[in-house]
Amino acid sequence: MAAKVKLRQVDEYRWEIPREGKMRTRGLIYASREMLPKIEEDQSLAQVANVATLPGIEGASLAMPDIHWGYGFPIGGVAAFNLDEGIVSPGGVGYDINCGVRLLRTNLERQAVAPKIDELVNALFTNIPSGLGSRRKDFKLTAPTLKQVLRLGTAWAVKQGFGRPEDLDHIEARGQIEGADPDEVSPFALDRGKDQLGTLGSGNHFVEVGYVAELFDEALARAMGLFKGQITAIVHTGSRGLGHQVCDDYIKVMLKAAAKYGIELPDRQLCCAPIRSPEGERYLAAMAAAANFAFANRQLITHWVRESFERALKLGPRDLGLELVYDVAHNIAKIETHTVDGKTKKLCVHRKGATRAYPAGHPEVPEAYRQTGQPVLIPGDMGRYSFVLVGTEQALRETFGSTCHGAGREMSRQAALKAARGRDIVREMADKGIVVRGAGRGTVAEEISEAYKDVQNVVDVAHGAGISKKVARLAPLGVIKG
Amino acid sequence: MTSKRVSRPRPYRALAHTADLGWRIRGASLADIFVNAARALTATLTDRRRLRRREVREVAVEAPDREALLVAWLNRLLYLYDVDGFLGRDFEIVHLTPETLTARAAGEIFDPARHLAKTGVKAATYHHLEISPRPDGWRATVILDL
Repeated sequence: MAAKVKLRQVDEYRWEIPREGKMRTRGLIYASREMLPKIEEDQSLAQVANVATLPGIEGASLAMPDIHWGYGFPIGGVAAFNLDEGIVSPGGVGYDINCGVRLLRTNLERQAVAPKIDELVNALFTNIPSGLGSRRKDFKLTAPTLKQVLRLGTAWAVKQGFGRPEDLDHIEARGQIEGADPDEVSPFALDRGKDQLGTLGSGNHFVEVGYVAELFDEALARAMGLFKGQITAIVHTGSRGLGHQVCDDYIKVMLKAAAKYGIELPDRQLCCAPIRSPEGERYLAAMAAAANFAFANRQLITHWVRESFERALKLGPRDLGLELVYDVAHNIAKIETHTVDGKTKKLCVHRKGATRAYPAGHPEVPEAYRQTGQPVLIPGDMGRYSFVLVGTEQALRETFGSTCHGAGREMSRQAALKAARGRDIVREMADKGIVVRGAGRGTVAEEISEAYKDVQNVVDVAHGAGISKKVARLAPLGVIKG
Repeated sequence: MTSKRVSRPRPYRALAHTADLGWRIRGASLADIFVNAARALTATLTDRRRLRRREVREVAVEAPDREALLVAWLNRLLYLYDVDGFLGRDFEIVHLTPETLTARAAGEIFDPARHLAKTGVKAATYHHLEISPRPDGWRATVILDL
């Protein structure tokens, strides 16, 4: 459909879309030569160029190696805007505000857990509502309580006894984005959130029990408390219906705002408002509230992950460990301080399907990782592996401290269903030593391994380009899918 | 129901798309487009034919134009599903202008024991959204974020 976008190779891992037409800056894509044909198949490169036309953009319009077609902004897109002329866009964050990943480590080795993996997966499946429209019957929030959640994020959950105070020291922004204002969240969004806190949802969201299969950097792994053969758990979910509604509500606001402020849009879904406009400020306040809901959501699920381990393995918290390694957001816009062309500036950094990757020594990296750099968690598909990386100085210089977030789909959901037809996917996974339980009949088939790109290729580009550094590879043993 | 079953072409058809799901909607009238898009949404979430018409919900939405109205309508149906578990099987357009829609949805509360859980939908999006008159009626495209 769209004209082919010009691409110029910069080096082995970097490709440039030269500035032309209405672009205010260049596009910069991190990819290997082998990835390009697939990237060029969809319209994601045109989307990188479209983002480059938006007012106040600083540096390049960036795309991480897991770039693929999104709404307006590409998935894997990173774009930073200055606070004077720049814009904020709900499309640059996505519908699932603060969709993210957290990793827990245990004191257990693979051999101790493998024989009990069925019980463990069943316990997780029973304790964590998942799937289409999952809700908690036991846990409905009143309106004032929900507003507390939106203001306080993880801190609210910990105060209620869901988790440990030290969890807060191992979460991006301590699980609470500043400036959240629940009054900017519509009653519709609040309604959607009131019985969805502590639920996984459907699609690509999951809880996975796995083990450390390979270490790339032993010193960094040790500093994160990771060792080979160690049992781990990953939680991947976001802000559920509340976040989707906030996005939809503010897209409507921004469609009007873009016209009001005379912002020319190459694509409606890029609708936005100046950061320093009432519309922009309201969106940031509502987005922060939805992000806090997501942080609290992952915290509650973590609590039930811990309970499930205790019940299934009949071990106490001290024996289990189950400490939080880190929690990252991969759909978010944040006000951050960066250096551009030698000048220190406050910017609104949009990461849509991209992860923050701050280096050692950065003041926003928690104390525990000040020496190593911030842990970056990259989940893969349910049949292969996930990766732990750390942020680097180079990321801070080049990508506003950002890197990739996952594998990205290779096949459409329909193609995946077709490929899975007549096959018993749960049995196939069991034969590979992975226990899978899915709430929806379709979900497990849609999420088959071959429907996803190999996340290793994505991680290798991020590592090769120096925007993060590989620490460990995790392999799955048991998964619950939404 | 006021909407007549369109015999040809199919009222809704899935478009191939890697990340998410697009629907190509057809209808004899603009009202049919809204009815068939709602059916497509329900068909994404569950097996529509297994839903019973146990209750009727009235929905009223507004938007700046008819395309945005289609998105607002589908997202309101998703809201009903998220909040109450309600899924419409059949839809009736009561009143439709380019900026306002009043409609009724007849269906029931989703019951995981009886209903098939297919794919979750986060939202109907504005991306590649279009509604256009065709020689044989109307055609629309809407992409769902899954």
